This record gives sequence, C-alpha cells and structure tokens, in this order.
Amino acid sequence: MSASNPATLPIHPPHKAFSPARILAIGANTLLELVRLKVFYFLLIFGLVLIGSSIFMINFSFQEQFQMLKDISLGAMSIFTWLLAVLATAMLLPKDIEDRTLYTILAKPVPRFEYLIGKLLGVLALVLISTLVMAGLFAVVLYARQEIVIAESLAQAGREATPEQVQEIVRGIKASTFTWSLVPAIIAVYLKAALCASLTLLISTFASSWIFTIVTSVAVYFIGNIQSIARDYWLAENGGTALTKVFLALVSLLFPDLQLFNLVDDIVAGNAIATGIFLKTAGLGCVYVVVYLFLAYFVFAKKEL
Amino acid sequence: MSTPAISIRNLTKVFPIPFKRERVTAVHDLSLTVEPGQVYGLLGPNGSGKSTTMKIVLGLVPASAGTTEIFGRDSSLVESREEVGFLPENPYFYKYLTGEETLRFFGKLCGLSGPKLRDRARDLLKLVGLENAADRRIGGYSKGMLQRIGLAQALIQEPRLLVLDEPTAGVDPAGSREIKDLILEFKSRGITILLCSHLLGQVQEICDRVGILHKGRLVREGKLHDLISVENQTQLILENASPELLARIEAEINCSGARLLEKAKPQTTLERYFLEVTQS
Amino acid sequence: MGTTKRIGIVIAVLLVFGAIRLPVERSLDEEHRKAFFRGAKLDLGLREQIGQGGFIAALSGFRSVVADLLWIQANTAWQNTEWGRMVKLFDAVTTLQPRVTMFWEMASWHMAWNASNWARDNPKQPSQARRIKAQREYFELGRLYLERGIRNNPDKYVLYDRMGLLLRDKLKDHLGASQAYAKAAEFPDAPGYEKRFAAYELSYVEGREKEAYEMLVKLYHLGEKERLPTLLARIDDLQKKLNIPEEQRIYIPPETNQ
Repeated sequence: MSASNPATLPIHPPHKAFSPARILAIGANTLLELVRLKVFYFLLIFGLVLIGSSIFMINFSFQEQFQMLKDISLGAMSIFTWLLAVLATAMLLPKDIEDRTLYTILAKPVPRFEYLIGKLLGVLALVLISTLVMAGLFAVVLYARQEIVIAESLAQAGREATPEQVQEIVRGIKASTFTWSLVPAIIAVYLKAALCASLTLLISTFASSWIFTIVTSVAVYFIGNIQSIARDYWLAENGGTALTKVFLALVSLLFPDLQLFNLVDDIVAGNAIATGIFLKTAGLGCVYVVVYLFLAYFVFAKKEL
Repeated sequence: MSTPAISIRNLTKVFPIPFKRERVTAVHDLSLTVEPGQVYGLLGPNGSGKSTTMKIVLGLVPASAGTTEIFGRDSSLVESREEVGFLPENPYFYKYLTGEETLRFFGKLCGLSGPKLRDRARDLLKLVGLENAADRRIGGYSKGMLQRIGLAQALIQEPRLLVLDEPTAGVDPAGSREIKDLILEFKSRGITILLCSHLLGQVQEICDRVGILHKGRLVREGKLHDLISVENQTQLILENASPELLARIEAEINCSGARLLEKAKPQTTLERYFLEVTQS
Repeated sequence: MGTTKRIGIVIAVLLVFGAIRLPVERSLDEEHRKAFFRGAKLDLGLREQIGQGGFIAALSGFRSVVADLLWIQANTAWQNTEWGRMVKLFDAVTTLQPRVTMFWEMASWHMAWNASNWARDNPKQPSQARRIKAQREYFELGRLYLERGIRNNPDKYVLYDRMGLLLRDKLKDHLGASQAYAKAAEFPDAPGYEKRFAAYELSYVEGREKEAYEMLVKLYHLGEKERLPTLLARIDDLQKKLNIPEEQRIYIPPETNQ
C-alpha cells in the first residue's frame, strides 16, 4: 500500500461520470440479496398450483382443460410477477437506509442515479428470471397434458382412423395448446410488473415506511386498471358535473393505463396480436419505466440521508 | 501550503421540522480545517451536530450554507469521494457475502476491477488481520471483525482521507487495541483521519488535534496536547528514587512558590493491565 | 428544496406526462379494440352477476380466471340440470370472455341439445304441447348464443360452422344452415367440408336444387379429395331428381348409395 505520495499514481482509475460497471455491481448485488431471501420458493407454489389445477380439471373436455390451464397459469404468473416486483422494490431503499449500507455505498464515488438504476435492475432481473422459470414450468405442464390428450384421443379414434384423420386430430389438439402469441402475452405480463416496480421505487423515495409504499403501490395498481374507464367517461360528451370531470381528469392523467398491458385474457382466447401493436405497447411500457425511474431520481437526489 | 484534507467554512445546516414552523439548526457557522496527515478528533455530546457535519463532508446531506471541501474539491460533487473512505457507526454489510466478496463489491464501486482488485482486497485483508476469515460470510463475523472489514472497505481505493465514526464502539479491549494500532499505522503512511468518538480515552491516545462541538457550534479547537495540558502543573515520574531523595525534593518545593499537589505511585492503565493478563 | 415541494413537482410532471400520453394511449386503445382486445364490457350489470370480488379481479386483468371459475360452476349446475342458473352463468362468462369461441359453442350446445332434450322428456310436465314449446325455446336460446358469439367473433369460422349444425339438426332450416356453412367456407382457415356441407344443405331446399347441383358438380371436378361418399350420393340423387340428361351426368358407381 503506497503512501500518499503525490508522485505515486493512485490505484483507482479516474472517476467516470457514468459507469455501467458500477451499475452492474449494484444490480448483481441486489439480485443476489433478493435471491438469498428465498423468494424463489414461491415458484414451488406456482408449480403446485399448475399441477394441481391440471389434475382437478380432468372431467372437462380437452378444449376446456387447455383453456383453463392456460388461464390459470398466466393469471398466476401475472399475480406472482406483480407481487414480486412490488414487494422486492418496496424493501430496497428502506433496508439499505436502516442497515446503513446506503451510507457506505454513497460514501464511495457512486452517483445516486447509478445506485437507483442498479437497484431497479436487480429487481427487474429477479422478476425476469422468475417469469422465465414460470413460463418454462407452464410449458412443461401444458406439453405433458397435450401429450396425454393426444394419446387418449388417438386411442378413442381407434384403428379405423385414416392417417389424415389422425393428423387432423393431432393438429386440432396442438392448435389449442401452444400458440406463438403466448410469447407476447408473457412479455406483456413482465412489462406490467416492471412498470409497477419502477412506480414502487418512485413511491419509496418519499414514503415514510415500506408499508406505506406497498399500500400506495397496490392502490395505484387497482386504480391503474380502471384508468381507461375513467378516461373514457372524462372525455365523453355528456360527462357529469364539473367536479366529476375534474376528478376524472386527475385520475386519467396521474395514473398509468394498465389495461393496455392486460393482453393475456384475450391472447389466450385466440386473439393474435399484430407485431406493430405489440411493439407500440411494449414501447409505452418502457417509457413508463423510464419516466418513473427519472422521477424517483429527482426525489432521491436531494434526499437527506 | 498543501491543500487541506478537509476544509469547512461557515457551514450551517438547518432542518425544517415537518408540520411546525420552527426549524432546528444542527450546525451553526462551523469552520475548521484538517491538514493532510493529521488525526483529527471531532467530539461532542449527542445532538451536537457531529454526525451532521460528517455527513455533509461526505456529501450525504446538503449544506444550508457554507462550503465543505475534500482536498480542494467540493464535497457535494461525486468525484470528491474518490479520496475518502468512510466507516459508519455500527457498520452493517451484506450478510451473505464473504469478507473478500464485500471488498470486491466496494472496489467495483470505486472503479477497480480484475486481478488488481483481487490483489488489493487480499492485501487489505492481510493488513487488517482478516486473511483467515476472508472466505467466511460476514454474517458470522464478530463486532471487532466487522469494524476491521469496515476499515478495509474504507481503504479499498487507497483514499487519502479516512472518516471513522465510532470505530471502536462495542469492541472488546483487545480488538479496540488492534484498531487503534491500525489507525496509527495508517497515520504513519500519511493518511489523514477524521475520527468521531465518545470514547475520550481512546481519542486522547491517537488524535493530534480535536474539535469540540456543542449545540452545533465549535466551542474548542486545537492541538490536543495544548488543550489538555494543565498549564501551570508539571509531572515528574521517577524510577528507583530513594526516600531521602524524595524528602529533599519536597523540602525544595516547600521553600519555593510551588505547591506539591500529589505524590503517589503512577498507575498503569486498566487497559494495559487487562491486556497483559488476558494475552499472556 | 423540501420533500413536500419535490413531491409537488413530481405530481406536476406526472400530470404533464399524463397529458402527453393521453392521445397515444387513446389511439393504442383504439387499435387494441380493433384487434378485438378489450371486447369485454365490464359494467355494473356484470358486477351484479359476478359479485364484487369477481368484478375487481376481472378489472385487474384476471378476467379469464374469473370466467373459468364461473364456467366450472356452470358445469356443476349442468350436473344438477339447473338450466336457468346455467344461462345466468353462461351470460356472465361470455361477457367476460367474448373472444373465447368455446364458451359460446358450449353454451349453445347445452341449450340446444342437452336442455332441449331434457325439456322434451321432462317428467314433471304432463302436457306434451308445453314440453315441445319448452324444447323449441331452448333451441332458440342455443341459436341466440351462436348469434351473439358470431357478432363478437366475426373473424372466425367456428361459430358459423356450429350455427350450420344447429340449424340443420335442431331447427331443420336447410336454407339457413346452407348460408351458415357457406359463410364458414369463406374463411381461409376453414376445413374443407364447409363448402360441401353448404352445398348439401342447399340441395334440400325447395327450388334451389339446380343451384346446389351445380355447386356439387364444381366440387366434384376439384378432384379426388372432394369425392366423398356423401357428395357422390347427393349428386346421384339430384341427377335423378332434376332429370339431368344422361350424357351430362357424372357417373356414380352404385355402391356409393349404401
């Protein structure tokens, strides 16, 4: 270790105003910390829900079975990713402040915005991994069901079935299980969770406790789901009193329109989504994440620690 | 005249109280300078503005008025923290990381990477005496070990200034001794140290200068030695003095204008005695 | 700058952001609706049917799960032959998930086949006239489900196909059935038999036999794939009925009339 001799070069490289390496270090650390909290055990619950529901529905026609399996899986994915995003993010800042690790980190030459981005990236990575694992589990269970149903149907068709009919049966079954549009549906689920994570981060920068953060985030989520209804009423010709209009205007402008990301229900119903529309929706989601993150930085930048 | 390590000029910090009109002035028009290579003790009772001042120097809290600089750079700038290592009170690090991983994490935050970072981490672990615990999780560290890893983390980027908040609080005497020795070691290498502590005995042993804060104002400041020397008293410590010699000295004192205040056997400190007994 | 001031600025920025994204979101919403997303009308009427919890869940993006739960209840109701309750549940399910053709299909099937059969044989109803009337009402209910289903899914062939089947088998409306099958056949992904069925049904309609015959001949000439026993049998029948001159007839081997 060298003395503070001005002639000796210090070991640290000159300070960079923006360093992806710093962000990555914080992000990786956040991800590790969240993983150690054993949040992944809930994935077990997800798996059990899937397998349980697929067994429960044996008495229905195969079309109904696939329908319900897809609905329940994607619904569970929706709620788990959202819960994970909100809960993990709500704890980020309060935990670091309480443990004073925030001071040790910010006492290093780390700009506050890099700290925030790093933290958020850690949560987004966690949610991404969870989404991929759940999607994988879902695919496996769905595939297993599909194969069982194909075997049963072919057995029922018996030996007189022509190869053409066999092909038709198999094709019909496969068409009700996997469709490519499930991929944008899952991406939309992830984006909605990412939006909620970024929003929760914003709330946590000025919230007084993590309970407040969670409650507010949940409230915003529910209001966000009806924002489009409020918006339509506000902009309709025969609105209501001036007071109602003002109220509806505030709701429409302040809250995110989460219905735009609720694509799962309709995609599972067989709606394919055009790439153009999907890209626009995904782009909007990313804009939300960035705007909320930027506002979170704005509050956090001058926060007294 | 080299750039001071810390330069605080007319620092004032006012905190508004939510829902009330009055405000709390935590620091009032504080000015002090810490020269490079010094060990400076910042003292004061709880609520004196010590922590606030420290946080402002570290850029964690903005000042209401006045300036603070680290080696000539404004503390509100992120870059100024290149030169500072901070050990907070009761430090807490990520429990699931090992000692070495913790140092590597903080090193990355300072822009270090690769083999250079690895070597640096290992050197520091050796320096603070934690090389055997490098692969153990922080969750299993004792208080003394936590303080030492905290010191190592503060030094990861070879800063010229260390800010230590209660570095020996809650640590047993042996651990305390080790930390004090480390601080003196750092000092011998030219690192400036700003120390905040309630343990005045320890501050007395290692600080060159002290500043005493009270209710946000600097009430006393200066070389430690000058501040606590009692001006008009002299202390003689004799070895193997015979009773006749002592009688002659007393007689001389009685003839002069001086007064003998105390004649007793000097005591070793309880600390030294304890360490002798427990470490033999 | 105090925290309160900062929060004020955050709210102001959110309002501005809201104003900026307003036209974008409205147009995207419009595009979604055109692609048949957001077809579900979630209004207070629905809330009456499915209760508060279900309504909130439906709004929160769990429409499909709520629909499935109601569907399971409908299944249980079927096992208890509670036809009235089934109708209420079917209405709720199809309101929540209007784009799932299976729900419309099966609702229609339950009414026009299961319920109608039960009504016809209902031991609790001594008057046969009343029983037949009830049966006819269920046929109509089944047909209405398919009609509403088609309105919500004009881009799919399936419900037209089922309509054809219902009109043919239950309402004995060969003209209607033919038109339904013909509509189904227009879709690019429709199976091959739709156009054949359209022709068959048309061939049973008084006065349209010639037209049907021409359609069948055209299909015959498309190739081996189309020359299924039923097609050949119908051609044979019509040739005899319409007294087509021998030299213009298509030769149908006798076995096909089995």
